[in-house]
Order: sequence, then C-alpha cells, then structure tokens
Amino acid sequence: MAWSGMPPDGTLPLTNRAAAEVICHRSGGPVTVGRFLGEARALAARLPAEGHAINLCADRYRMLLGFAAALLRGQPTLLNADASPHRLRALAGAYPGAYLLADRAIASELPLVPVEDAAAADWTGPAPLLPAGQLAAIAFTSGSTGQPTAHPKPWDALVAAALAAAGRFGLRPGDGPPSSVLATVPPQHMYGFETTIMLPLHAALACHAGEAFFPSDVLDALDGLPERRLLVTTPLHLRALLAEGRRPAPLAAVISATAPLALPMAEAVERDWGAPMLEIYGASEAGSMASRRTASEPDWLPYAGIRMGPGGDYGEVHVPGLGAVPLADALEPAPGGRFRLLGRRADLVKLGGRRASLAELNRVLVELEGVEDGVFVAPEDIESNPAARLSAYVVAPGRSAEEVLAALRLRLEPVFLPRPLVLVAALPRNGLGKLTRAALAELRLAVAGP
Amino acid sequence: MPDGTTTPIVIASGLTPQELEVARLIVSALSLEVAAEEIEPEAPLFNEGLGLDSIDALEMALAVSRAYDVKLRSDDERNHRIFSSLRTLTAHIEKHRTR
Repeated sequence: MAWSGMPPDGTLPLTNRAAAEVICHRSGGPVTVGRFLGEARALAARLPAEGHAINLCADRYRMLLGFAAALLRGQPTLLNADASPHRLRALAGAYPGAYLLADRAIASELPLVPVEDAAAADWTGPAPLLPAGQLAAIAFTSGSTGQPTAHPKPWDALVAAALAAAGRFGLRPGDGPPSSVLATVPPQHMYGFETTIMLPLHAALACHAGEAFFPSDVLDALDGLPERRLLVTTPLHLRALLAEGRRPAPLAAVISATAPLALPMAEAVERDWGAPMLEIYGASEAGSMASRRTASEPDWLPYAGIRMGPGGDYGEVHVPGLGAVPLADALEPAPGGRFRLLGRRADLVKLGGRRASLAELNRVLVELEGVEDGVFVAPEDIESNPAARLSAYVVAPGRSAEEVLAALRLRLEPVFLPRPLVLVAALPRNGLGKLTRAALAELRLAVAGP
Repeated sequence: MPDGTTTPIVIASGLTPQELEVARLIVSALSLEVAAEEIEPEAPLFNEGLGLDSIDALEMALAVSRAYDVKLRSDDERNHRIFSSLRTLTAHIEKHRTR
C-alpha cells in the first residue's frame, strides 16, 4: 500500500481522532469524538442485522451517526438524497434489505430507523477498527441507461482521500488549531460527504450540523462557529452569498466544487472576504482528485497518491483504493506536476452538481409516449452561469408541453428538466438526419420571435 | 388572441395585487415560461405545482432580498409554510418587507 497510515493487519480505524476532540458543532453545543462513538454504537445496535442503509438525514451529525453505525455493522451506506417514492423503490429493488435512516418522516414503504437524540455512554478506549476493504459507501451518478450508475467506495479509499485532503488543506493534527467547516452541499453528495462526513473522522476538523441553505442561514451559521472556519460551497451558492453584500465572519478558506468557478468570483472572495478561494476538482466516481487557488493558479495540483493519466492516457485517473477510474473531462499535463482542464467532453452537461449526457436525455425524451422527435439544447453560458438551464424542442402532436414535462419529471432528475420545453411542428434535421448547431440556433430564434 | 394589440386577459385566479407583483418577480427571476397571472396562488411552488427546485430557491431568495430586503431562511419549520405557495410567500414578504 502506498500510504503510511495502513496498519499491518489490514484494518483502519473508524476515526483517527482522540476521544476529547470535537467532531461536530450542534445547536446544543460541541460534540466530542467519545460521545459520538458512544451514540454510534447505540444506534448500531438498533439497525437491521443486514442490508444497505439509505441515509437521508439532513442534519449532518445524524448523517455522521448513521454512517458510523452502519459501518460498525458492516453495512454500506447508499449516498442518495432523493427521498421520492420512485427513487427509494428503485434503490430497494437494486439493494435487497435496503432500509432508511432518517431524521424526519419519509413517505415510503421501506423500513425506517429514526436517527434521533438519545443518551448513550461515551466510548472509551481506542476507536473501533474496520476491515480496510469493507464496502463503506456507494455513490451514484446519472447513468447511461436512465438508471443511476453505482460507484462503490471501500473504506480504505475513503480514508486515503480524507488523509490526502487533510494534507492539502492543512487539516492534519499537527497543522495548527482544529478547524470547523460549514457546508452548503448535502452530505449525501460525494463532495459534501468527503468534506463534512469523512474529514471530521480523519482530520482535525468539526462539521456544523445544521442545515444552511439561504445566504442568511450560511452567514449566521458562520458567525456561530469557532475559528478556523472553512466554507465548503459551490459557484451557485457563492454567487448568492456575494450578492448578499454582508461580509462573513473571518474565514480560513473558502472551498468550491461541482462546477468551474468564474475568475471574477474567485477574485471577489479573495478581495472582499480576505480569504483564500480554493477549488476542488472531483467526480462522484473518483472522489476529490486535485485542487487549486483559482485566482492565481490556472492549473490543478493532484492530491497525494492521485495519478492523472496513468499509462499516458489522460482519459483516466489512478485513485488509491479504487484503481483506474475513467474521467468525464478532457485534461492535459501542465508544468510542476499539475494538469489543465480542457473542458467537459462533448455531449456531457453538468447542472446543480449533477451530470448527464445530452444523448441520453434525448433518448429519454423521444421514448416518451406521444413524442415523435425531440432534442435537448444546452445554453451557451452553461459553464459560466451557475443557474443555467437546458431547453428542449419537442414534436408531440396532440400533447401539451405540460403533459410532456410531467412525463419527463418521472424519468429525469429535476435539475435536467427543460426550461422552456417548446413544442414545434418539426425539427430542422438535415439530409443525414442530424441537427446542426446552426439549425438549432435558427429554430431558437424562430420560436423566440422577433 | 385576435390581434396582437389587445391587453392580456388576467386569468380569474384570484391573485391579489401583491401576489401578482411577487408572481411577476418569480417569473422574471427564474425565467419561467408561465405567465405571472396563471400561477395558482395556493398551488405548491416546488416539485409538483410550479416545479421549482433548489437552484430556483436560491435565485428566488436573491430576488426577494433585492426587491423587498426580506431575507429568506431555512432554519425553522416556518420555511415550509413560507414556500408552500405564492400566497404564503407573499404574506411572509408583506409582513417583513422594509421597502
């Protein structure tokens, strides 16, 4: 094994932190590692004997408790935030014994184990050890068949990634005083999971438990956290936060991921908030792979242990614990061991942190009953405008736009629903049946009117 | 419409003037395809109903903050009520607006 934390007997601790350290800041006060482990053990005793945990907890401490409890029972956690009945039914079909861990009522026929506050004896003694290869979590991406694709995460891969991130961002125990992190991304998204669930277990960092979504929530929550504060967020949230015009409590760093951050926004954060603006490059398949300080570094520095383009093929990355993982982006080597992102491979779009293939979206569209032809179109500013939306042009005689949209809603993640969905008499396909960019632009103009 | 110059007909959906104003703000901030007058005052804004999502929620918070200096929050149970429909959102804005 390449990294040094690996004990000889093939196990890794659930956490490398001492019992008295703080792992989470809740509204009722800080929670120590010892108390957390005690509560996780108590919750573990209430879980089904076997199965897969669908952890829907919105409170980050409860998400962390549920994840640890499932780990202690040897059960993987499905990283899924979608609580819609059809999604939960699909997961239950794919993962026998699937059950829900939740901190609110969920309309579902699946068994639900509530994660709530309960007194438990603190854990004393060394942290529990887990088999290094234990399947700890499964992340999902929008798949090529319309069904989400699963990406299994063994425990050693998650721990290696957390240790690499801790090294990169100065969060190792010897790097200085402990940090606290506030995130605007859900803990079920791979980026939020790595930064607010895995890092508190394996770095000198405590997560903020409560939900913080609107700019006012985020700024108030930051006020309530002790220094060194980290803000983990996305370009979409950063735009709203900057527009709020209220300077946040002093930040040790701001971290963004899920979409490229526009340079002016990075510069505004550095200037107006006086904080380093860092970006993480990652994907649900591979996890976080590299970072950069956007305002001064055009190229990305891979995390320790990450090798971009093993064997000279820059279409994939070598990740400790996972092996070779294909990438959805095109990239090329840059000086100093860094790499440059050239952009998304044609056909892929990313919105709201979710990725989809236009070809796949088109296939779903034309397979709808009553739809004869149709095409999704990405706007020109999709990479720079965090609130960008797809549009769709659809030939569906006898059906209304609302009907087509309602049918799409059952098959697509909401963020990919077209806005607008425009009904047209025909698509301007050329002699080869292809839709050229120029023809689509003309169609768009014709529909929009003079 | 018989000719392009007639005034748009206000659908008899019972929007108050304040609700119509907030509806227009939402439609323009989110580039919705629906006319402000057509928004059902009591229909859910998110998921079914208008079909808004979390990206829209942020955009809406931004627009409401700019137009009325009202800060939307998600820290309590009220939030579900505030966002449950155009009517509840408008009531919340009317109660807290400073301009």
